[in-house]
Amino acid sequence: MRLFKHEILLIILIAGTLTLGGCGQKQDGAADRPTVGFVTNGIASFWVIADKGANDAAEEFDVNVEVMMPSDGPAGQRRLVQDLLARGVDGIAISPSDPKNQGGLLDEIAANADLITHDSDAPESSRLVYVGMDNYEAGRMCGRLLKKAMPDGGSVVLFIGLLGQLNADLRRQGVIDELLDRSHDSSRRDPVDQVIEGDKYTILDTRVDQFDFARAKGQAEDALARYPDLDAMIGLFVYNPPQILEAVREAGKLDQITIVGFDEDDDTLQAIKDGTVVGTVVQNPYRYGYESVRVLAALARGDRSVLPESKFIDIPAREITAENVDAFWAELKQLVGE
Amino acid sequence: MKKILGITGLLVAVFVFTAALEPNFLTAYNLQNTLRWTALFGIISIGAAFVIITGGIDLSTGSVVGLIGVLLPMLLVGQGWSIPLALAAVVVVSLILGLLHGVLVTKVNLQPFVVTLCGLLFYRGIARWITGDATQGFGTAFEGFRQLAIGRIPLTDSFGVPMPFVVLVVLAVLAGLFLNYTVWGRYMMALGHNEEAARFSGINTDRMVILAYVIGTVTAGIGGVLFALDVNSVQPAVHGNFYELYAIAAAVLGGCSLRGGEGSILGVVIGAAVLRVLYNAINILGIPTQLEFAIIGAVILLGVMADELVKRFVVARSAAREVV
Repeated sequence: MRLFKHEILLIILIAGTLTLGGCGQKQDGAADRPTVGFVTNGIASFWVIADKGANDAAEEFDVNVEVMMPSDGPAGQRRLVQDLLARGVDGIAISPSDPKNQGGLLDEIAANADLITHDSDAPESSRLVYVGMDNYEAGRMCGRLLKKAMPDGGSVVLFIGLLGQLNADLRRQGVIDELLDRSHDSSRRDPVDQVIEGDKYTILDTRVDQFDFARAKGQAEDALARYPDLDAMIGLFVYNPPQILEAVREAGKLDQITIVGFDEDDDTLQAIKDGTVVGTVVQNPYRYGYESVRVLAALARGDRSVLPESKFIDIPAREITAENVDAFWAELKQLVGE
Repeated sequence: MKKILGITGLLVAVFVFTAALEPNFLTAYNLQNTLRWTALFGIISIGAAFVIITGGIDLSTGSVVGLIGVLLPMLLVGQGWSIPLALAAVVVVSLILGLLHGVLVTKVNLQPFVVTLCGLLFYRGIARWITGDATQGFGTAFEGFRQLAIGRIPLTDSFGVPMPFVVLVVLAVLAGLFLNYTVWGRYMMALGHNEEAARFSGINTDRMVILAYVIGTVTAGIGGVLFALDVNSVQPAVHGNFYELYAIAAAVLGGCSLRGGEGSILGVVIGAAVLRVLYNAINILGIPTQLEFAIIGAVILLGVMADELVKRFVVARSAAREVV
């Protein structure tokens, strides 16, 4: 009991530190402004750029926006979405992590607010519009980059953070279909655990790392060990190309392995400048955030003219190679305010 | 020595099995990589072992790895600090965190599980908050410093000992000497076995427990530095997630009892190696990643069960001999 006084002090100190962290947050604007939610599928620098776009649009179209980034996939999305609905938001833009099984959650949103999808679509839900790119086309674009760099063909291993999420599945399928010169059919699915052989290109494997960067690097190393004659590696999530690059560099195989990336990590862009990565396919997360909030703001005010007939607002992907990397990087830096 | 026989057997079995199925497993390149990953996880496992030996548990390891992992690039790249200064700063931070855990456990009498669970949540939140969830990295400016994690000491043309493995060996030898040949180390074992008895025999148990938590977070901090240097891009929300479980698993596999009072450093290192070789084997053999956890769980369970059966057999046989 002698220590009792100190215990209380300690607890007050800790509690104080904890609450201090909560202070200094931005204040909510006027109550009569519509509020919209922007829900991501995870936490990444990619989403920090989308956050910027969402906030810029919120200012321009006079709404409050809540950007929510779940750290634990579909479970986190459910929790965050229900919090938003409890607060009575007017609309929610979401990138569903698992659209097939999130039907209930998406219906719950649609019943209580305007539902739109961004980044990854849920075509079977009652979403009003999808803001994003065609991931299948982007995957094919990625495949074309490899074809251009390695016209005689060879063996390829794919690296991805997650499968089962529509955009990831489509992206992978796009790469495979392009390398095998198949027809355009985004509903095709090749099994993950089989070697996929085409006339020129062979896809040996697809490794999934569950967003663990260290594991992503380990898997790249293991692929190099397992396939000593490997020709190419394709990283399909933002952090994959830098981790592949690390592994290949440490193995001293920069001359042997052709690397194609996805998204716009600084290391990937630098590697394109250095010539160690052939190219990357970039999305436009800023526009995802911006367009989503623009549409939701109009819907909240009853204006349905923002919805296109096709229910698809296309934010096309772009190929970044040595030719245009400088211009793109400058544009990116300006967007994130560096 | 007997205690680590089972785990060593498991390591050898997995090793031989994988090598037999896939010769590329034995390439210098792959062995180097596996050694490096073993070293990185081995370092944080040693810290976990000390806490477990005193009868506690440290769940904050992964979050400390994450927090230190974002602090280091922030200080070096963002603030432009010199390497020694930034290193000193992150070591001091991890030291303070351990001190805090130890004091809360001993002086405030909170349960170690609760204290370190709150640590797990708190440090992760802080890491995300100070970075605004932005990925941190060293860019290309610290190639020299990064050799500490990715460099090798060449032995032959193709094979070199990865630097983190050197760090692991140094730490493991120090930890082993401390635990087995110093009074403080013996105190830790004793208090893990029976804290009250240790206290009544005049050991300042509180001080020893605090020391164990400090060792736990400092090794997590060192691990955090090496992990960050190794992957070169640290995502605050996920970097180090679940690493405390790998560390605890390695410690328990290596012969530490969760009830405290037992453990060997060599065993812990071998425990960490088993986990990494299993991960490597799964990728090398081309087993679908989805099966990863299932295989690791099953192999460890089978290994521990076999170990237990052998022990029982030995006990039964020596008992039978005594009767005769």
